[in-house]
Amino acid sequence: MSEPRHPPEEPTWTPALLASANADGSVTCQLCPFRCVLPEGRAGSCAVRANHAGRPVTATRTVAVAHLDAIERKPLFHVHPGMPVLTVAGPGCTFRCTYCINHRLSQYGRERGSPWRGEPAQVVGLARQAQEAGAALGMSYTEPSLAIELAVDLGRAAAPLDVPLLWKSNGFLTPEAVDVVAPFLTAVNIDVKADDDTAHRQLTGAPLGPVLDTIARFRAAGVWVEICTPLVPGASDRPHQLAGIAARIAALDPGIPWHLARFSPDHRLAGPPPTSPDALGEAVALGRAAGLRYVYVERALGPAGRRTACPSCGEVLIERDVWALAASSLRDGACPTCRTPVPGIWR
Amino acid sequence: MPAEHPAPAPDFVFVPDLPDLIDPGEYAEHPEGRLVRVEIRVTARGVEVLGDGLRPAWVEDMLAELGGGPIEGMLCG
Repeated sequence: MSEPRHPPEEPTWTPALLASANADGSVTCQLCPFRCVLPEGRAGSCAVRANHAGRPVTATRTVAVAHLDAIERKPLFHVHPGMPVLTVAGPGCTFRCTYCINHRLSQYGRERGSPWRGEPAQVVGLARQAQEAGAALGMSYTEPSLAIELAVDLGRAAAPLDVPLLWKSNGFLTPEAVDVVAPFLTAVNIDVKADDDTAHRQLTGAPLGPVLDTIARFRAAGVWVEICTPLVPGASDRPHQLAGIAARIAALDPGIPWHLARFSPDHRLAGPPPTSPDALGEAVALGRAAGLRYVYVERALGPAGRRTACPSCGEVLIERDVWALAASSLRDGACPTCRTPVPGIWR
Repeated sequence: MPAEHPAPAPDFVFVPDLPDLIDPGEYAEHPEGRLVRVEIRVTARGVEVLGDGLRPAWVEDMLAELGGGPIEGMLCG
């Protein structure tokens, strides 16, 4: 038998926040709404938070990838357009999405093809690396809330360097977890994958309600929030689902940017075809009909799908290439023609 | 019949960027997502096979069949 190309890597476990020790030696994790009760020696459903000798520990103080990419890829379209993002991720997710393109990293502990990857995070070095690149720090690709300890430390290291911390999250956090991390976050893009609990559970293995609560709580804490909905066949691509999600967002604030993501067949949902451009166009129309002012499609509808226009006079304010800023005429965060403010965090 | 000694899964390496071989303007021409495009390059490192497809798993399966080195792929988000 040949040797593996690389020696097998194992997680490094470090103390975890948001958990309480119980009298019987178990630990209750309070990070995500599953609130797993972990017997001694066991990990939660996420596989990356565990009970070691009655102490809550996490494997997520880990960097498996650290990639310099674009803020438009998160996607965050109303935050520092064109800014690079040093994006870090470790293994793990609270969801089990059937279509996850990142399953090799996100589904660690659940699937044979998702081995442990990563090294202990060098927090100060990452913050400095981001600063030197003129970049934000991002946590994406897998579920950043599972690495809340790392997020807090990255936020602490990044703030004095004027480096913003960004998340791309599934929003499946307890209120306590939101309160812990919100002071360190500048912006977060949260997926809303369905309009009802049944469809959301079918897609992700988790209920929808806590995601909606997280959106409201982050916004109340002053964190900029954008929302993304993947058009998953048979679930979120149904017009009534999309219209319902759009209505929920509009009820919060019609100025919240809504990103519509094209489905690519992959993982356990490899059968259905990819989302058609026509379907994405119809979804945009549903969003606008619900009153949303900023509805975006990354690639399939060309530059028009990525464009920010003034909601009052219609002037084009920001043109984007794929994952890049092309041009902006925003002046002090407002339309230069009619002075209507555009919500966001602008440079 | 399953192989007695199945081949190990190929190494999969996450990279920040890869060239696109498919233009979004082509999406509508392939509603079932059956488009796969391949580019073969001879470089100083050897032969590199770049694949792009509307069904990522098809590209990965093809590259795994070719063998010869790790598969590089991008992460979403």
